[in-house]
Amino acid sequence: MARLSKENHTQLLLIVGLLSWLAPGAGYFVLEEKKRAIIIFVTIGLTLCIGLYVGSIGVIDLEGPAPSYVKAAQVMNPPIVLVLSHRTAGGGYPVYGWPNEIGQIYTMVSGLLNLLCIVNAVSLAHLGKIRAGD
Amino acid sequence: MSVIDILVIATFTAPEQIRANPQAMLWLLPLTAAIATVYKATKLPTITAGVFFKEAAILFGSIVAFIIITASALYALIWLISV
Repeated sequence: MARLSKENHTQLLLIVGLLSWLAPGAGYFVLEEKKRAIIIFVTIGLTLCIGLYVGSIGVIDLEGPAPSYVKAAQVMNPPIVLVLSHRTAGGGYPVYGWPNEIGQIYTMVSGLLNLLCIVNAVSLAHLGKIRAGD
Repeated sequence: MSVIDILVIATFTAPEQIRANPQAMLWLLPLTAAIATVYKATKLPTITAGVFFKEAAILFGSIVAFIIITASALYALIWLISV
C-alpha cells in the first residue's frame, strides 16, 4: 500500500512538472491553485509574445549561432518554441541589433520564469502530499 | 485564413524598428513587471487581489530603484574617470 502511494506521488510530481512545461501555470491548475495558474499563464504568455513581437520569431533559432545559454533558457518555454525553432531553422527570419537582443532577453526571461514555476509547482505538489499525511 | 489572422501572424514574422537611444531603456519596465508578478505569484501563500498587487508593486519598485541607483553610480564613476 505504501509502495503504491509512493508511486502515485511520483506520478503526480511528473504530471505536474510536465503540464507546467506544456502550458505555464497548468501544474498549479491541477493542484487547484486557479488564481496562481491564471496569473502565471497570462504573465509568461505575454512576456513570450512581447519577445516574439519585438524580435519576430527569428529570435528563436535553436540551430543558429546564438550562445548556448540563450538556447537553454528559450527551451524552458512551452513546446511552441520547439515548433517555431523548426520553422526558423535555416535563417529564413533574419533579425539583428536591438530587436534581436530585446527579443532574446524577453524570450529567455519567459523561459526562466517558466522553469521557476515548474520547480515551484512540483515542490508545492510534494509538500502538499507531505502535509496531507500520505 | 482571414485577413486579420494573416496580419496578426505578419506582426510576428518581421522585427520591430528599435533604435539604440535612451528611450529603448523603457523596454526593461514590462520585463521587470513580469518578473515581479510571477515571482510574487509563486511566493505568496494565498493570492488575494489587494495583497498580491501591493507585494508585486513593491518588488517592481525595488527592482527599478536598484537599477536606477546602479546606473547612476556607474554613470558617476565614468564621469569621475573621464574628468
